[in-house]
Amino acid sequence: MKYAIYLGCAIPIKYPGFEAATRNVCERLGIDLVDLPFACCPPPTSLKMVHYDSWLALAALNLCMAEEAGLNLMTLCSGCVNTLKEANQTLKKSDSKRRKVNRILEEQNHHFKGTIEVTHILDVLYQDSVIEKLIKEKVREIPLKVGCHYGCHYFRPPKIMYPEELSEAESYVPVKMDHLLSIIGMEPTEYSRKFLCCGSPLGANSDQDAGYAIVKEKLRHIRERNIEALSVICPSCFEQFDMGQIALSRKFKDLVKVPTFYLTQLIGLSLGMSTKEVGLDVHRVKSKKLLEGIGIS
Amino acid sequence: MTVKIWNFFPREALYECYQCARCTGSCPALEVASALGPRETILKCLNLGHDEIVEDEKLWVCCTCNVCEDRCPQKIPISDLLVALRNSAARRGNIPDKLEIAIELLAKTGRSMIVHQLDEMRAHHGLAPLLPVPVDEVREILKKTRLDEVVEF
Repeated sequence: MKYAIYLGCAIPIKYPGFEAATRNVCERLGIDLVDLPFACCPPPTSLKMVHYDSWLALAALNLCMAEEAGLNLMTLCSGCVNTLKEANQTLKKSDSKRRKVNRILEEQNHHFKGTIEVTHILDVLYQDSVIEKLIKEKVREIPLKVGCHYGCHYFRPPKIMYPEELSEAESYVPVKMDHLLSIIGMEPTEYSRKFLCCGSPLGANSDQDAGYAIVKEKLRHIRERNIEALSVICPSCFEQFDMGQIALSRKFKDLVKVPTFYLTQLIGLSLGMSTKEVGLDVHRVKSKKLLEGIGIS
Repeated sequence: MTVKIWNFFPREALYECYQCARCTGSCPALEVASALGPRETILKCLNLGHDEIVEDEKLWVCCTCNVCEDRCPQKIPISDLLVALRNSAARRGNIPDKLEIAIELLAKTGRSMIVHQLDEMRAHHGLAPLLPVPVDEVREILKKTRLDEVVEF
């Protein structure tokens, strides 16, 4: 099993611990990763809103790099997977858009052919063969009540992100992260507003305080269910919860903070990796006490 | 330069809307900030055309979460409408400062984030330096698609 690993911008630059955890986990579970000189995806929350044609052409450049290497592309971020999946689908379907983009790419010696698929680390880990390996390789359980947060762009809009394995008659909210974490002994717990926005794009594009107000409301529901840890698959969601809780606690002194983890950090811990190996030492909301309570240091 | 958005969004789809406001009732941005909300956006497009709406700064107060489209009983492709409207707004100079700065950074460096003391930070996590982005190719592609007509870089 081999993928071109698409790191995006936020993970390798701001949260390289997620990257380290992912690489370690993939190595242990027999997933080979190849690095290519990818550019920004670019985000569905920024360039797409400002200039669709530029957004599509730049996404096509990234897709071409993976095509040229003959590899499917695995992303680590809900935003990146949204852009690259939509662009891939659009360019495969629309002859006119593909012609237009290829006229520009050909000057840079690239040509979009439509030969690869785009996927996300969560979907890669959820495959039967990987889960079987995880069950065999895991050395400890992580008995914590966990709230999963998928990130809107991982599953919306459905016309792009709807999983191929489901029939259109089925209603769809993602469940894969909840299932995976139950395999490593966590207790996935539902909470109100689980499938609504973390507030990140609102903060980034217009109003930071409004973005954090969304986090505050979400946290209220998360704490109501006595959730001890949050799991995310997107660096923007992570930032909202990690930095967001620090910012909110300056204003609201009685705020009880909930440590947030990137999915592969939790999988890594269950495979016996140390907290440093999965990069937990740089998180702002500390998880040391929580993890020591279940014998992980 | 004025660009009619109907090249990018099927105008007929607007007439499917019966103003049930399920979209606006689900909108996380509208709950915490002064936003237009999808229902009002569609109504204004129907009644006033899109010229007026693209001048409104509130058009940008949005999470881009697409929950509106997800919950629309009429299956109106609202996310496509919002992209088309904002593309048109940006072309007329209606674009939030923060977003303009972010796009400029992307066009100049090929990344959405400033790379600063990166190797040291990556080494802390046992990671190799990041592969360089082909910045010249990125800039050329963005020039050819005429991004510089909207954001200078």
